[in-house]
Amino acid sequence: MKDSNFSKLQSLYSGQNDFRLREVTCGIPLKVVCLDSMCDDAKVSNFVLQPLTYVQDAKGLDDVQKRLTVGSGVRKPPNFYSIIEDFTNGYTLIFDDKDGCLSVDTRTAIGRSIAEPPTSMVMRGPREGFVEDMKVNLTLLRKRLKTPNLKTINLTVGKYTNTAVAVCYVEGIAEQSVVDTVVQRLQAVNIDGVLDSSYLARYLDVNKTALFRRVGTTEKPDIVVGKMLEGRIAVVVDGSPMVLTVPYLFVEDMQSPGDYYENSAMTTLSRVLRFISVIASVLLPALYVCLQVYNYQIIPLRFLITILNASEAIPFSPLTEMILVLIIFDILREANLRMPSAVGISLSLVGAIVLGDAAVQAGLLGAPAVMIGALSGIGLYTLPDNTLILSLLRLIVTLLGGLMGLLGVLISTLVLVIYLASLQDYKTPFLAPFAPDIPADRQDAVSQKPVPSMKKRPRSIPNVNDERRG
Amino acid sequence: MKNRVKVDQLALIYLLIITGGKFTSLPSLLAGDLGHDSWVSMCFSFLWDGVCLCFLLWAIKLNSKANLDISAILNRSVSKVVSKIVLAIFFVIFVLRTNILLTNCYQMFSVTFDVSTNWLVFILPIALLSFFAIQRGFNAIARASQLLFGIIFIALVALMVSPLMEADLAALAPVGEAGWGKILANSYTRSFWFSDYIFIYFVLDGVKVKKHVFTPILVSFGIGAALTVLINAVFVALFGSFAPDFSMAMSKIGVFSVANTTNGRWDWLTLAIWLLSVFIKMIVFIFCAYKCVEKILEKNFAKVNLFVALFITATLMLPMFVSTETLLSTFIVWALIPFTIVQYLLPLFMPLLTKVALKKTEVKHE
Repeated sequence: MKDSNFSKLQSLYSGQNDFRLREVTCGIPLKVVCLDSMCDDAKVSNFVLQPLTYVQDAKGLDDVQKRLTVGSGVRKPPNFYSIIEDFTNGYTLIFDDKDGCLSVDTRTAIGRSIAEPPTSMVMRGPREGFVEDMKVNLTLLRKRLKTPNLKTINLTVGKYTNTAVAVCYVEGIAEQSVVDTVVQRLQAVNIDGVLDSSYLARYLDVNKTALFRRVGTTEKPDIVVGKMLEGRIAVVVDGSPMVLTVPYLFVEDMQSPGDYYENSAMTTLSRVLRFISVIASVLLPALYVCLQVYNYQIIPLRFLITILNASEAIPFSPLTEMILVLIIFDILREANLRMPSAVGISLSLVGAIVLGDAAVQAGLLGAPAVMIGALSGIGLYTLPDNTLILSLLRLIVTLLGGLMGLLGVLISTLVLVIYLASLQDYKTPFLAPFAPDIPADRQDAVSQKPVPSMKKRPRSIPNVNDERRG
Repeated sequence: MKNRVKVDQLALIYLLIITGGKFTSLPSLLAGDLGHDSWVSMCFSFLWDGVCLCFLLWAIKLNSKANLDISAILNRSVSKVVSKIVLAIFFVIFVLRTNILLTNCYQMFSVTFDVSTNWLVFILPIALLSFFAIQRGFNAIARASQLLFGIIFIALVALMVSPLMEADLAALAPVGEAGWGKILANSYTRSFWFSDYIFIYFVLDGVKVKKHVFTPILVSFGIGAALTVLINAVFVALFGSFAPDFSMAMSKIGVFSVANTTNGRWDWLTLAIWLLSVFIKMIVFIFCAYKCVEKILEKNFAKVNLFVALFITATLMLPMFVSTETLLSTFIVWALIPFTIVQYLLPLFMPLLTKVALKKTEVKHE
């Protein structure tokens, strides 16, 4: 069997301890191979070896496939590439003496159990979260979308990792051209390995220099199903608990998983607060600096006196002082993220008390600047996925505001708005439904209508059926 | 297509353009010539503006399927040479108007916001902003305008509330005291400020026409014109014979609010927000100037061309050498007729020219 698929496979894995070969005879000679580290021993024994060793009247590989393999996932890999793919994924391969091959699903189910995702905890609503196993993740989706219209397109990405990727959508809602675009972009990925879905997010975003994330990520199956029912496409990546969704709108950043399970009036109020806090986070430090340096007349007199008293003895200019506060805040946040949670709490205390209070007491930083910096920093967390980029923008706007006054703030605001308004992918403008204004989609933007009143799917997301019912 | 724009977006951007920029030096200039009748002169200018706008909208409607640009329409209906001359005149108009806006902004920042800087340092960020916007496309400018419209409009209304309550509109009577001939003549010589619709020439090929073209844009025009006349009237009523001395109308009309001194000059903050509309106007005018050069050169640059950008930036440096007043008066003396032709006569012939161009396009296709 020189140069046969079996010998090629054997030579590729020669010397590997987890390469298992078992020769059996069930009427015809067969070679059973599997990767011990990827297979479930019980499945290999029960689904493959037991039936093969108990009978002696097998007539060929077709007979083995039809009669002697018990597993539900049995197939004939069409080429050597598929053989390798199945083998590395934990399938057990059965070779006959004519180089025919069968692969039987004996993948091990080792993995984390389903739990509430730490990134999107909710007060109300489902608490199940995705895990690293793609099969489990697809089950979580199917469990919620019991329709034959839920379609998945399976792909493999990554030269060495051969990561399984599933593109999921609801046929009859999602626009086929968008599905095709997603599949084309994923097929075009040429990369050594995909270790997490975030690797693929960069390929799904056509404008790779975009400052803002334009591919949605979530760990919650109910959110993915909700988005798929609006016409979006989900990308499930094996080994990642984060499922990607496209198209993605800026307004989605302002929506929290719990929004749809709360009273709509309360949700509206929360969203208004989130919008205000994000705008204030980016603009407040800049306005504070430029009003203090150039246009203090705008500040009410009493307020101005308080600020002047507090910052009188500060050795830095208002711009330097604010930049220092913002950088210190960013350092604390960065350190906090990388610390174990127990140490993180101590670090927050050290940051808040020692750095903040001591700096004010020592007269190095003014209390108003620390307060504005902290307020702005906390506000950024209302947009958890874009905290870093907003933090950077905040620094730039503050710098321009400090150097150029209101002119700098106005120009940087316009640049940011024009940039955001120009982003468009998958036929979807990033700032929809605000720019362009799509009145019908305002039902779930800043304000949220009660679910029974949302009769149409959002127009900003391409779909082929805009009626939410029937 | 990154320069595609919907009719409602066009209407909003037009409204912002009308109200952005006419409240800086124009009210005091008009008041200097006509006293309290300046608002009447504005009304006449807007009346003629409205007529021209209707003809231009008619041309848009005719052009809705073919989406020919201004250059293609003029090339096919008249000739290439005439087309280039018209585009060159437009280029001068846009550059001049941007210079005036920049000068007014510069004065507003140095007088009101107490930020005195070098002209070059002042214009470079604005030029960079404009070229960045051109790179992102007119569509992005239109969407940004749509997003900022609400806050700019609220700021404008907030700016007007207090002065409107303080103003004695009876001071505007008797109407026509300056003499109707003088009022009309002033409408003509000051027409330079009014033809804001001319930017529409340069998005002709991108307007996405659905059902209504006339209604949203004419409503925008009506609101913009009414607001402009009202602010001018309030300004004249507030300051009376001193009006010509207050060159920055918008930043001065808030001084009558006594509460401002103790509660902070919040009107300045609203003024700053309103300034966004002036920036949008400058961006649109620089976009049009850029398009003029592109069409004169018969090129369609995929990215902002550095040489064209540098050339336009260089023209924005003119006020470093010649005062804007001198520039303006020189052009009004020497170039009023060509300016009038392209701004106020060309629109009247645009439907006809579009029809001819469309006919020639059909013949070509056959």
